[in-house]
Amino acid sequence: MTKDQFLSTLNTSLKRLSTEERHDILQDFEEHFAIGVGEGKTEEQISASLGSPHQIAKELVATYHVDKVETTATTSNMFRAVWAVIGLGFFNLIIVLGPFIALAAIILSGWIAGISFIVSPVIVMINTIIYPEVFNFYNLFFSIALAGLGLLITIGMYYVTRTVTRWFVRYLKFNVRFLKGGLKHV
Amino acid sequence: MNVQFKKGVLELCVLVLLDQKERYGYELVQKISEQIDISEGSVYPLLRRLTKEGYFTTYLKESTEGPPRKYYKLTDVGRNYLQELLDEWNQFSNGVNQLIKEGVHDD
Repeated sequence: MTKDQFLSTLNTSLKRLSTEERHDILQDFEEHFAIGVGEGKTEEQISASLGSPHQIAKELVATYHVDKVETTATTSNMFRAVWAVIGLGFFNLIIVLGPFIALAAIILSGWIAGISFIVSPVIVMINTIIYPEVFNFYNLFFSIALAGLGLLITIGMYYVTRTVTRWFVRYLKFNVRFLKGGLKHV
Repeated sequence: MNVQFKKGVLELCVLVLLDQKERYGYELVQKISEQIDISEGSVYPLLRRLTKEGYFTTYLKESTEGPPRKYYKLTDVGRNYLQELLDEWNQFSNGVNQLIKEGVHDD
């Protein structure tokens, strides 16, 4: 691969990043090639030692997404970060996707339980409107108590979600830092 | 050597090299690949990440040959982090060496 091929592959694989950052990264590799050529190496030799531009880009993109979810923890940012980290290698697929699905399922079911408890008095009321003959006070009081419980669960879930998200972002960072990506298989 | 293992060590290598003096990217890559078999390109994402985390500052310096070079300088935060990693590394490698010694002795 010539320098131009290497840089243009890297550039296309980095299109998610801002122009400024991409320019900065390409600049680093320009410099690397320039010094290498100055030492008498060919562009092909240099790019062979650098390794695959795709893999380099993957790592940069993963870091970018993990940083982004750390500053703004939206669901879509989280999905992008998880996806990018999984893309780093097969090992990440196992140790990232598994915990992610498990945690997401637990959090989702917590929210569903909390919210459905909260709306349970409404359901009792609707039920009463449709079938006035089955109304009893026990149902109403029970559903009001359930709504109180649901409120507590929902508030609890808010904090649980925040904590778990923070913890999981740290886990993603750890993955980017220590697990496979860009190193030669030996 | 195990790939997972090497990546963590790469970080330590970069920090150690920059603790001695300020260096530019190409120089760091050469120094490391003289000793360890790596895909040289993976050093650059690492340098960017550690710079973002405040462990290095960078500046451009004119060179007598070719374009200006980007130098990396270890910050105080970076130096503390290096110390932490070094302690962990020493503890770890001492442990492994001890086990190897005992293993060989038992044979």
